[in-house]
Amino acid sequence: MRYTSFTSYDIVLLAQGLGVSLALFLATTIIGLLLGSLWAVIRFYRVPVLTQIVTVFAELLKNSPVLVQLFLVFFGLPAFAKLNVTPVEAAVITLSGNTAAFVYVIAVSAIESIGRDQIEAARVFGLSRWQVLRHIIAPQAMAFAIGPLTGLLVNQLQVTSLISVIGVVDLTKIGNILNLRTLKPFVVWAMVGALYYVMAKLIAYGGATLEKRLRAHTAWKGL
Amino acid sequence: MTFDLTILAPHIPFLLKGAVLTAEACVLALVGSLCIGMIVAALVTSASPILSRIAYIYVDLFRNIPFIVQLFFFFYGLPEIGIYLDAFATGVIALSIAGGAFTSDVIRSGILSIDTGILEAAEVSGLSKPTIFRKIVMPIALRTSVRPLGSVFINLILTSSILSTITLNELTGSAKIVASDTFRPFEIYAVLLVAYASLTYLVSLAIGALHRYLNRDQSGVA
Repeated sequence: MRYTSFTSYDIVLLAQGLGVSLALFLATTIIGLLLGSLWAVIRFYRVPVLTQIVTVFAELLKNSPVLVQLFLVFFGLPAFAKLNVTPVEAAVITLSGNTAAFVYVIAVSAIESIGRDQIEAARVFGLSRWQVLRHIIAPQAMAFAIGPLTGLLVNQLQVTSLISVIGVVDLTKIGNILNLRTLKPFVVWAMVGALYYVMAKLIAYGGATLEKRLRAHTAWKGL
Repeated sequence: MTFDLTILAPHIPFLLKGAVLTAEACVLALVGSLCIGMIVAALVTSASPILSRIAYIYVDLFRNIPFIVQLFFFFYGLPEIGIYLDAFATGVIALSIAGGAFTSDVIRSGILSIDTGILEAAEVSGLSKPTIFRKIVMPIALRTSVRPLGSVFINLILTSSILSTITLNELTGSAKIVASDTFRPFEIYAVLLVAYASLTYLVSLAIGALHRYLNRDQSGVA
């Protein structure tokens, strides 16, 4: 017996897929932000060998397809290091690393956007390198980076759709399942696309709101 | 824990065949997305509010929906309305349409950066609107946006790996086959990662050179 028409349970399925996609997106975003900022701090302190390793690693991650990275972690690691990697673990590792590489680039340029004279002035006042980073650079760099970061996150949300290929039951996988069952590709993929679109718009809106708040001190207040 | 690259030697011709397919798809998609991008950029910057609205909706939709969803939409959807294309043609079409959205954004900002004085001078000289667009707006806009166009192209190359999900055996697809033949997935995917990274690095070098060549008479542009 085949159920070729849509049922009310399909909504539950879609909601479940949406939840998995969103949860993975949020988790990998947080890990990626922390990791990427850490790499940027390593570069800020010019840690000898680590800086070069981080730079090369980030370049590799940025310039190769996420799909290949996913395959390397999901199929490669178990064969190479005899580790057992579940699809979700592979997805978290890959997407976090990928997000971190792009966050690193944004964070580095945000740090560099702050004038040398400010840092020198702060150093003259006797602030330590960490205090400079914490109180002078970080607040301004945040306001600078939030725009590119929003763009990045909208992009990374779309990248999460790739994890369906290694068997994580996210929104795209649910779309696949519904598509094979109902054989109505236009309806199914339009629905899945619409859900992704709404999520992307929400992220962009959230980013714009946050940016406005972070830049509030520089906004024109009138005479 | 063995890392033995010699195991891949007999499979190199097969992988190269996949790489050629990737290159073909990318070049065709580049041409397609440039064509779409130029038309859409012209619509977005046109004086007609309806046309620019439609073009904006297209760009907005295709930039905010994951490529894999768009690809499945075309791959499973097109046969439904009686259009039977093979995976390669479907992939190139989907890549062109998605790439076109990004390309048009780049070209649009190139168009908007043109000094209005140039356009007024052209109008005063009595050139027709299509001529202004073809002979003045497009050359300037394309020349200034070589670098951002290059990063769109690099993204296109990386995105083309997703075509392996619709049974197209391009570079990633053939690597998948080799991995299941040899049971050495780590080596093959590590090599693939480095191959893609060096390929896109070479492309970015070429784009830098092209940018410098096209803007050689521009002062102050390094």
